[in-house]
Amino acid sequence: MNVLILGGTGMLGPNVARELAPAHNLRITDVNPPEDDLPGEFLHLDVADLDGVVAAAEGMDAIVNLSVLRRDRRIAWDVSTRGCYNMMQAAVAHNIRRVINTGPHYTVAGPNVTECFDYDIGPDIPPQSGTNIYAITKSMGLEICRVFTQHHDINVQTYLFYNFKDPEAIQPGEHYAPFVISWENAAEVFTLGLDIELNALPSNCEVFYVFADMPHGKFTNEKTKRILGFQPRQDVEILWK
Amino acid sequence: MRILITSASHDRSAALAHHLAGGHEIRLTERTHVETEHEFVLSALGHDRSTNLLTRDIDAIVHSVEPQPGEDASAQLDAATRGTYNLLMAAAEEGVSQVILLSTLELMASYPPGFRVRETWRPLPDTQPPTLSIHLAEQISREFAREGSLGIKILRLGDVSNKTVADAVSEALAQPVPLAASCRSNESTAPHALSITHVGERPQ
Repeated sequence: MNVLILGGTGMLGPNVARELAPAHNLRITDVNPPEDDLPGEFLHLDVADLDGVVAAAEGMDAIVNLSVLRRDRRIAWDVSTRGCYNMMQAAVAHNIRRVINTGPHYTVAGPNVTECFDYDIGPDIPPQSGTNIYAITKSMGLEICRVFTQHHDINVQTYLFYNFKDPEAIQPGEHYAPFVISWENAAEVFTLGLDIELNALPSNCEVFYVFADMPHGKFTNEKTKRILGFQPRQDVEILWK
Repeated sequence: MRILITSASHDRSAALAHHLAGGHEIRLTERTHVETEHEFVLSALGHDRSTNLLTRDIDAIVHSVEPQPGEDASAQLDAATRGTYNLLMAAAEEGVSQVILLSTLELMASYPPGFRVRETWRPLPDTQPPTLSIHLAEQISREFAREGSLGIKILRLGDVSNKTVADAVSEALAQPVPLAASCRSNESTAPHALSITHVGERPQ
């Protein structure tokens, strides 16, 4: 499969590229240059550039959007909201039916979803990001994807993460977020997302929480395991053991 | 009451300013210069301090998202989402008591003809501005209301005259300011942080 990766040279991107490279042809784009050993073709591209995104998507079978900008109030809209719109326009222009989008957990579960009180928080609650700039710009991106899937034969899977860890760098007793995953385990879900038959997904716009099995039960990754066949590694358990 | 009206270059905003000027102090704003008899502030609704100054000492904002000539769809969407967020964030920080968002009943046009579509029904935008832009502006407004930082009144307008719009805005301004994070449609009478009112007939 020919796969376009948007925002591919950030923190998660190289892990995803190394995971996908053995089975797929990769076209990786970013505003920042890649590491020396990043597999695939690299294009310098800002996702806020509609024409550039459409051109980069030519000949692709799938788009994976890893672009992220958390705090800058100008660039966050460029990347997370306008970038999603441009990506979906590119998918329409080239008849690309498989799109994988990403974001943080509070794309749907903002401050009104209380991690203090609630358990089994799933990804299919009505999105309620709150006004945090990272959360709301990603949430608007998700809404754009949803609207496009209502009007076009495009399938968008959105993978939401909370916190990434390098297992070898974890210090005993260190603080950890309500859901955590190692970089390499996170990358594995993208192979599943590219492999799954689109008609095996419940709808053409699905959201998944991606994290390791954790004992406290605050959030649930059950849907990710059941539908995508995701297998959490046991490589971050030192956080609570 | 001191009222800020956005998208000043558009006829509806100008007519609204003229209508409200009899009983209120009016400040108009736009991304490009506009000749007007009212106070005018040039603003890109950016995330800098100028947007705070734009909203300072303002009691109510009447906001609409309108494209500038020559803007492509991506730029229109960006201006609508980013500008609305920056405006509402500044308004919340400056203590503006209420915001009226002028939306469109085009959001409900895809429901079958003959359906009695209520304010509580899900909007059905298409994938292009202006309906996608205004839909996202509604979504952003909803999050500010949900947090209780602003009282938001959304007026979804059908094909109505500027006079009808002005009357609907005047009525909304006269209603109690929402205080708590909850929602009502015009079927209820209690003040809440988010209210949605359909004005006129929806396109079918």
